[in-house]
Amino acid sequence: MTVVAPAPPRETSLDWVKRNLFRNWWSGLITVILLPLSLYLGYRALRFFFVTGQWDAVRVNLTLFMQGTFPRDEQWRLISQIVIFALAFGIGLGTNSAASHDRADDAGLEIENGSIAGTLARMWSLVAFIALLLFFATTDDVGDFINPFLVVGGAIVAAAIGYQARRLPRRFRNVGWVLTMTFLVIGFQVVSGFDAGGWVPLSIVYGSVAFGAVPVERFDSTWVRLLLRLVALAVVVFAIRAIYAAVDSPGIGWDVWSGLHLTLMVSAIAIVLAFPLGLLLALARRSTLPALRVMATVYIEVIRGVPLITLLFMGQFILGFLLPAGTVLSAVSRAIAVMTLFSAAYMAEIVRGGLQALPRGQTEAGQAMGMAPPTIMRRIILPQALTAVIPAMVGQFIALFKDSSLLSIIAILEFLGVRKIIHAQADFRSIGFAETLVFVAIGYWAFAFAMSRESQRLERRLRVTR
Amino acid sequence: MTTETQEPQRRELARPPFYRDVRVIRIVGQALAVLVVIGIVYWLVNNLLSNMDRLGISTSFDFLFGPTNTAIPYHGSFDPRSPVWQMVLIGVKNTFLAAFFGIILATIMGVVVGVSRLSENWLVARLATFYVELFRNIPPLVIIIFFGAAVFTAGPFPIFSESWEFNFPATDNNLLIVNNDRWGIPGFTQTSNLLLFYVVIAIGVIGAIWVWRRRTKNFERTGQPHHRVVWSLGVLLLALIVAYFAAGQPLEISWPVISGNRRRIDGGFIINWGWMSVTIALGLYTASHLGEIIRGSILAVHRGQSEAGNALALSAFQRYRFVILPQATRIALPPTINQYLNLVKNTSLGTAVGFAEITALTKTSVGNGRPAFQSFIIVMGVYLVFSLTISLVLNVVNRRLELETR
Amino acid sequence: MTSEQNQSVYSDATQAKGEAVIELTDVDKFFGDFQALADINMNIGAQEVIVVIGPSGSGKSTLIRCINRLEKHDRGTIVVDGIELSDDIKNIQEIRRETGMVFQSFNLFPHLTVIDNITLAPRQVRHESKDSAEETAMQLLERVGIPEQARKFPGQLSGGQQQRVAIARSLAMKPKVMLFDEPTSALDPEMIKEVLDVMIELAEGGMTMIVVTHEMGFARAVADRVVFMADGYIVEVGTPEHFFTNPQEERTKLFLSQIL
Repeated sequence: MTVVAPAPPRETSLDWVKRNLFRNWWSGLITVILLPLSLYLGYRALRFFFVTGQWDAVRVNLTLFMQGTFPRDEQWRLISQIVIFALAFGIGLGTNSAASHDRADDAGLEIENGSIAGTLARMWSLVAFIALLLFFATTDDVGDFINPFLVVGGAIVAAAIGYQARRLPRRFRNVGWVLTMTFLVIGFQVVSGFDAGGWVPLSIVYGSVAFGAVPVERFDSTWVRLLLRLVALAVVVFAIRAIYAAVDSPGIGWDVWSGLHLTLMVSAIAIVLAFPLGLLLALARRSTLPALRVMATVYIEVIRGVPLITLLFMGQFILGFLLPAGTVLSAVSRAIAVMTLFSAAYMAEIVRGGLQALPRGQTEAGQAMGMAPPTIMRRIILPQALTAVIPAMVGQFIALFKDSSLLSIIAILEFLGVRKIIHAQADFRSIGFAETLVFVAIGYWAFAFAMSRESQRLERRLRVTR
Repeated sequence: MTTETQEPQRRELARPPFYRDVRVIRIVGQALAVLVVIGIVYWLVNNLLSNMDRLGISTSFDFLFGPTNTAIPYHGSFDPRSPVWQMVLIGVKNTFLAAFFGIILATIMGVVVGVSRLSENWLVARLATFYVELFRNIPPLVIIIFFGAAVFTAGPFPIFSESWEFNFPATDNNLLIVNNDRWGIPGFTQTSNLLLFYVVIAIGVIGAIWVWRRRTKNFERTGQPHHRVVWSLGVLLLALIVAYFAAGQPLEISWPVISGNRRRIDGGFIINWGWMSVTIALGLYTASHLGEIIRGSILAVHRGQSEAGNALALSAFQRYRFVILPQATRIALPPTINQYLNLVKNTSLGTAVGFAEITALTKTSVGNGRPAFQSFIIVMGVYLVFSLTISLVLNVVNRRLELETR
Repeated sequence: MTSEQNQSVYSDATQAKGEAVIELTDVDKFFGDFQALADINMNIGAQEVIVVIGPSGSGKSTLIRCINRLEKHDRGTIVVDGIELSDDIKNIQEIRRETGMVFQSFNLFPHLTVIDNITLAPRQVRHESKDSAEETAMQLLERVGIPEQARKFPGQLSGGQQQRVAIARSLAMKPKVMLFDEPTSALDPEMIKEVLDVMIELAEGGMTMIVVTHEMGFARAVADRVVFMADGYIVEVGTPEHFFTNPQEERTKLFLSQIL
């Protein structure tokens, strides 16, 4: 007679309630107090959201919230930006998924399949927020000519198209990354303009590609190789400059950007610029030369010890003095400069942590094989250190995103600050304060929540693959 | 095996050409970097000084001794003719008060929320999770403005002239005055010299420490429970009472009273809505981060240690008190101190609700024509002092904890 | 221990079999006030296999780490394949290309596949093409017995397999000398044999090797000379038979009694 383990007793709802809410007397007491309290608060909140709230203040001003004082007849730029960024996002996601599958196949591992739908399901708070925006936009009061549904639909289509990049054959994997970067730059410049001065970002992208991809293997001399690489770089930069000079189409400078658009842009720009600066600071702080180390440490510790708003005030008042007489910096430029310098100090500590966690044996293995120090950095140290701290860097981006709300104090009209002009209108001079504030809170919450969830997931995945 | 002794040859290490010498390369590379940085700094400072010169702005700190010529809201006792450095002190004091009480509130709430997230009660755990996920993802400035605007200015509290007054039971004195602008609580007024008072208190503190150590040694020697906390507090209390009477009752309770014209609160201690918004908002915000830290630290200890504690027949309470919490505290301490530092820095957001902390006051001062550069150097110095003090406390407590658990 | 007593064994250390590939003359190394290497004189000939043994802290690891400049010697001269080890970066890089090192903790690059680990240095330092480097790499993987692991990541391999990859990685640079720093000390016992087998095959193939190890069986099998170090000095040198059957110095006898 075989002995079968008894099936666990099926739990009824009553059992569940007893176990989870009334396990013992004080648990029961807490439940009895908290349950009605939370139900009451929930009721009041729902009443506010659906009955008594004066949501017209949000509904009517939705465009102000999203893009602030951006000129209405140039809105096509914003729409194009959203679609192009969605395309870049799709390409990046597709290329990343394909690359992971490549590595897993080689190594004989199984990994789960990614998909756009899966990513969106994880970012449910963002999806819900966008749905909320669409809901507000569908009501009659909104007098805008762009159809938000088209925009969202277009973005989804673009992302799906971009995602097909994963079908590219393996040797074109790097093409996928280059395309992602290209579309990110184009998407940015479709708003900021393709004028003659805008050649820099694409030059960096394609210049690095040319620098690294020149077939120098046939030549043995280091100098010849270097010369060939520099020539390739120069050709690419020259070509890109020529293209930009020919197109020369001005855009809308960031001084005019406002609303949620400005919040997202400022955070992204500051983080992108802060990363190389932070990397340099981290390397300087670990340098063996005391002067370099002391200067980097002083900078990092002072910036980290001081509140951001103080630095923003200093930026408004003093930054002009630090530059030669006559240079004019707009408020947004100053704000971005301060946010970059601020983030760089935190990024430096994050990168430093990653560098310190790497065992010294890695460097020694490279040295033992005769690799030159820059090569060791590029191929061995940095890939490991930087991938290890990606979750922390995403966390820093989330923090910067939340900190951008401080720009409202220095009269910059980002997502929080745009309330000023909303409530300066005659219709909303004294109503809707709470509603607009709650809407802003929901917006921040939706983005930050989604991003922190992604970051946690990334962290779990990184830990598994080590 | 030959046994001849050879004179060992000593050769000088050949000198490589300097451009291939590793020592030279390393130093030159870094020296170049240093020169570049110094060059940039020099250029910036040069611009700064020449610009300030051009506009006739002085680089001295003399402005600190000139009159402020501004009134500070909610600080009726501040004479606008007072020198600027007194205004700075008021800013520092306000920052400290907001930070101090904010940290207390955040710690209490943080422990509650952190432990609640691990509770077996489903409702408690879910509510705590909701709290953490809600507050963590909203910028602190939004929370501060919410409290300032929605809770105080446009909230349920009455306007000043219709304040709610809560009496101390069975007397006519007000224990609490509540409205949407500034609250009154009982305070202390000084009626005579406090020097003797402080001296006796100081003696009491020394005595309390001495008692603490004696009781601890006694415990180690004999195993008798030391009750050192009760003993030390008892000594402190005794010292307090003795000091109070010995110095001739130098402090008196002053009750808050609404003035006759219902425009002021006389007496007592006044807390304004800006301070309350900042303290409560930051306390709740930081508590969400602290809750996560505490939860993480308890989990980091929990697994093997609970089993060991159970195997030793410790009760749940004893397990927490002697095994889990001491170790969890050690793990939680550095990130907690980091959060405290963030809270101190976030008090600067009081600017948005008119709270007169140091950054807000500096901004108005500079707006009124005081030199910006020196003013902000002072502000930065203030925050750096706070940061360094808290970090120092961290190091001391860390070392103390390590010694005790060794 | 007087200098004269040391002299009596030094001349053995300086007599290399055949032409000397590595010459150490009067090498001293200090860590602050602590002397890690004292009066080291040693010559190693082509195709010789030297096993260095000694208690921990005796300077054995420091000795081989000085040879490829992972540590810098303070006095004396080190010459590898005719190139003097000095502050000249050109010399250092060349010596590092000619020597391969296998570490106790393997030090494989976890973010690269096995084959990328092996081809990284040849491509970056010797500028080999990807195809040629991978061909060599696959041959080496076959030689160490794990060609099927080529596309896996180090994290998926056992300790013994990882160390074999590390050996293949060093061999990919076609070094003249292989340095081994306690290669099996971090391995579980059942994996030590597979690594030692690879090392024995290398020795029998004529590679010049300096091996710091506790594995006496290996020493008996392939070593041409065994060098015993203690407190930074070379105490005794001899063939394996001499060493294990008839050690001369007291210190040597004490050490052998503890480990054999």
